[in-house]
Amino acid sequence: MTAQSQFTPEQLQALQEKIKNMSPEELKEFQKKQCVFCQIIEGKVQSKKVYEDDICYAILDINPANPGHLLLMTKEHYTIMPQLHDDEIAHVFSVAKMASNVMLRSLEAQGTNIIVANGVAAGQRAQHFMVHVIPRKEGDGLNFEIPQRKMSQQEIDDAGDKIISVINSIPGGEEMITRAEPIAEFRPKRPIDAEFEEVKEKKPKARKKAEGKHREGGSKGADEKAVSDINLDDIAKLMGGK
Amino acid sequence: MAQNCIVCGIVEGRIPSKKVYEDDAVLAVLDVNGSTPGHCFVIPKTHYPIIEHVPDFDLGRMFVVSNKISSAIFQALNVHGTNIFVANGIPAGQTVAHFTINVIPRKENDGVNLLWQPKQLTEEEMSTVELKMKEGIDKAGVIEEPKQRSQSKAAGHSSEDPEEKNEYYIRQMTRIP
Repeated sequence: MTAQSQFTPEQLQALQEKIKNMSPEELKEFQKKQCVFCQIIEGKVQSKKVYEDDICYAILDINPANPGHLLLMTKEHYTIMPQLHDDEIAHVFSVAKMASNVMLRSLEAQGTNIIVANGVAAGQRAQHFMVHVIPRKEGDGLNFEIPQRKMSQQEIDDAGDKIISVINSIPGGEEMITRAEPIAEFRPKRPIDAEFEEVKEKKPKARKKAEGKHREGGSKGADEKAVSDINLDDIAKLMGGK
Repeated sequence: MAQNCIVCGIVEGRIPSKKVYEDDAVLAVLDVNGSTPGHCFVIPKTHYPIIEHVPDFDLGRMFVVSNKISSAIFQALNVHGTNIFVANGIPAGQTVAHFTINVIPRKENDGVNLLWQPKQLTEEEMSTVELKMKEGIDKAGVIEEPKQRSQSKAAGHSSEDPEEKNEYYIRQMTRIP
């Protein structure tokens, strides 16, 4: 994709031959060298980094769908999502959730989209696994379309049976399902005003009081004043949810 | 459980559905009005309206399950790609007030459009957004690193059958664009 045009057909053929004979590890190393996002992560290419930890790295997209469009990548070079380990997936998406939350608060977004594309047909352009987190506002001109098609029950059941027939042979998930302890836990410095206990209890009025309590371990110096005016419950209410 | 929530109706079994995966917290069903047969929903069994309501542990599980289904779709349905898509809030296209992860099988020209026209921002606009995001993230706190890196996918498999593991990764490689 990136470097191919610089090669003559003979070189290209030699290269393809070389790739064919590579072990998966060598192949990964080879891809890593070609990958502009790996170079961004190593600091060799400039970017607008907004978040980094041991596992992931988040930059602003220079061709954003909306201002604030975030590219959340793994530091490790993976091309598509099925290559990630379960705990990496859990971690990356808890960061995505945090980013979505920040967009609602700091960018006055009214919603967010989280998109992963696996494969060119799905719209993947970069050869490095990434999660797009896109802040949304009413009338922002974005139009994601997922057409709705009336399908017969037979068609649906057939597809379902095919998926069911292979799903147990796919590695992943087992450990998380049996593990009692969270793999990664988000520890806010201040309480998030949309904790799930309150949603279940449907007592938005009691939120202020409950805020201090339910984050025993995590909230170091919970500061009520710092809580933003944006109320996630209001956003949820807009959805007609109760 | 919310009384008038369709998704809760599916979880409770009041509304019939074709299930492809279920555990104590997460359910995955096929969409009856999806873009293509095989379009799946991954949903939490508890009624959480938007992603911010979902506890991290459940969220992690949901995305691991989504990934598993995405891999299963690759293998079983002979597709060219998959999308994992979340719409959070009405402006983002959310239609049901129950957090949902879409796993969408993709083929060329299938009518699904998840692309965008890039917006041109000035250097100043970019810097403003960058600053706001950095400040917001700084306030939001830290995400704890995973306590122990599990190597279940790689190590777990290689101990049983290294051939199979290599096969698996090679199969993954062939899907790379």
